Amino acid sequence: MPTQPPLPPLLTPYVSSLPQSSLTLLSSVLGATGNWLVLRYLYAALSVSSTNTIFGADGIDNGKKRKVVLVSFLRSWEFWRSEAKRLGLDFTRLTDRGQFAFVDGLSELFHTPQAQTATPVAPSAPASRSILPRTALPVRGPPAPAPTPVASGGGLNRATTEAVPGPAKRLHLTGYGTAALDALEKDILDVVNQLKTTAARDDGGEAEVLLIVDQPDLLLAATGPSKGVGATEMGEWVMGLQQHSHATIVAVSADSPLIHNASEFTHHPATPLEKEHAAFAVGLAHRAQMVVQLRNLETGAARDVSGVLRASKGGAWSDDGSTDAEAKWEEKEVLYFVQRDGSVNVFGRGE
Amino acid sequence: MAPTNLSHRQTHNLLLISKLLSLRDTASPFTLLLDSLEQPATPLIEEYIRRAKLSKVHVTLIAFETLKRPDSVDVLVPARRKSPQQIAKEVSAAYQVASSTSLLRRRLILIDSLNPLINSKTVDSQFNLPAFLSSFLIPTSPSSPKVETSLVATYHQDVSISSNQQLYAPSPLSLLSYLATTVIKLHSFSHILAQKAARDRSLAAPVFGLEEEQDGVLLGRLDKLVGNENAEGIVLEMEHRRKSGRGVLEWYILPPASRYPPNQTKEIVTLLDDHPLYCPPEEPDTGAGDEEPESTFNLRLTDRQRREREGVVLPYFDAQSGEGPGEGGRILYDMGEEDDFDEEEDEI
Repeated sequence: MPTQPPLPPLLTPYVSSLPQSSLTLLSSVLGATGNWLVLRYLYAALSVSSTNTIFGADGIDNGKKRKVVLVSFLRSWEFWRSEAKRLGLDFTRLTDRGQFAFVDGLSELFHTPQAQTATPVAPSAPASRSILPRTALPVRGPPAPAPTPVASGGGLNRATTEAVPGPAKRLHLTGYGTAALDALEKDILDVVNQLKTTAARDDGGEAEVLLIVDQPDLLLAATGPSKGVGATEMGEWVMGLQQHSHATIVAVSADSPLIHNASEFTHHPATPLEKEHAAFAVGLAHRAQMVVQLRNLETGAARDVSGVLRASKGGAWSDDGSTDAEAKWEEKEVLYFVQRDGSVNVFGRGE
Repeated sequence: MAPTNLSHRQTHNLLLISKLLSLRDTASPFTLLLDSLEQPATPLIEEYIRRAKLSKVHVTLIAFETLKRPDSVDVLVPARRKSPQQIAKEVSAAYQVASSTSLLRRRLILIDSLNPLINSKTVDSQFNLPAFLSSFLIPTSPSSPKVETSLVATYHQDVSISSNQQLYAPSPLSLLSYLATTVIKLHSFSHILAQKAARDRSLAAPVFGLEEEQDGVLLGRLDKLVGNENAEGIVLEMEHRRKSGRGVLEWYILPPASRYPPNQTKEIVTLLDDHPLYCPPEEPDTGAGDEEPESTFNLRLTDRQRREREGVVLPYFDAQSGEGPGEGGRILYDMGEEDDFDEEEDEI
């Protein structure tokens, strides 16, 4: 099979030209995960060769830097780094240049760093190393960014991004209800604002940041109504993030039990998780301009098809009568095939 | 249905929808829009805003899920992380600012989604949805000038209701539809057409999107599958409760916004029954009842042919007139010269 371009041409109109303050929802199922698609969005925004496609819709001058913040709740820095490398994106270098920041919501989400609260002198990194000796830790290289006297989040992460490329920030979930979510939101927005200000320092203009939140439904599943977090609170959380970024992409799971068990057509009572997840995912789809759905092939597994991709107009999409060719896209359903080397082939049915 | 009856219904119900959408005479103080992912209410809300601007109505949008203020909305009240009391206070404050500068007698309050409010974990258990909604409609103080307020709220039917509902309370949807003076349910026109086509053939009506219950499918809408340009538009299933208590049910179709200029004042909504795709116009009658099927052949008979045909005596009449029942089974056959005489056959 011939080598595929990193960005399949059929996919280009969907991953590029995201409108200002828009929400894009990626839904995936267990058998058809969306990592490759998230990577395509990253590529469209960050790659040097693609000529400013992602921010093109608003007619912003091409000199403007594109920046991406990736918040991942299910996968580690190491995973994203190695996957991106296969596409030709070097996250370490991009982080260095202040074009990219990774917020790690996986490795320490439920681990409250003792060091920060008890002894402010001891940096938190070694403590976490002894407890979680896996995933991203080796690549962070030399330990312990200079011990910051104020071990607050902001100080620490600035040190990290400048010294050693790696996750700009590790999220910690503490507290109850909206307060816990607000803390997470603040942590993420710190990183977003930091990227913006580094751009302002470099070339004067403030860059616009694309925010990708990978599987925040983990948060909902891990807290739930008993902790005062429901679909509404999660939706508001996403909204808070949206307010501060150019465009937001949120990836959630849409497996059948998580979506359909809560519907009125089933006659057995749904669990709180099923209800909240369905309300969260469907609520996001109502707010999204574009909904990209990945699912398995209905006719069963095939050797040369990984799944079906359907791009549809979400609830917030409106026909504003713009004749801008770049902003125009059609609803479409295509098949895709993720090859062994990570490249993706996208094609129509029967092609 | 008699044609006079139909035309009466047309004029009457078109006047009604025009009155409702243009918020004239506060025909409906509280309108509930029931939408789903298959047909979001966004186009209808834009139509409300467009008409409100034409007739200089003050528009407030209570934003549970909108970030950017649409151009023609006067005030956007973000509802994120706010208690219902705070929202109500801000909404009334927004109008006081506007009314102090210019004289606006009518106002439209839009709520882009009621679901976050209903599902919220942070509002206390004392929260009363009917009281919250009516607080927008009832003037704050008796001395304040009378304002004609209309409330239009959207409720997403497909967003599930969270688990913190009281067991004995009615579901939020039934409560809302009880309160509403008008309920408009939105459908996608192409889906209505597909369902009608199935019904006409006595097939089960197809379902779309979430109702398909297919793994990984949230949205079923596809422009391409529709294929038909004319099938654009949204279908409004309206139920209006009059002051007398009598209800009016009607189906309308709202064409997409790109089909008419934004300052159009003529009514654009039509009855669904009047749409050529939904009810194709009947074939014009070619003649009286006993006509024959159309074709390129001439299947008709001339007068002479008909007379001759009537004159033919068919063989069984011949048999009946003969020598009685014993002769009935005989085969009468005259051999022609081209026939090949077969002795064996003749013996049988």
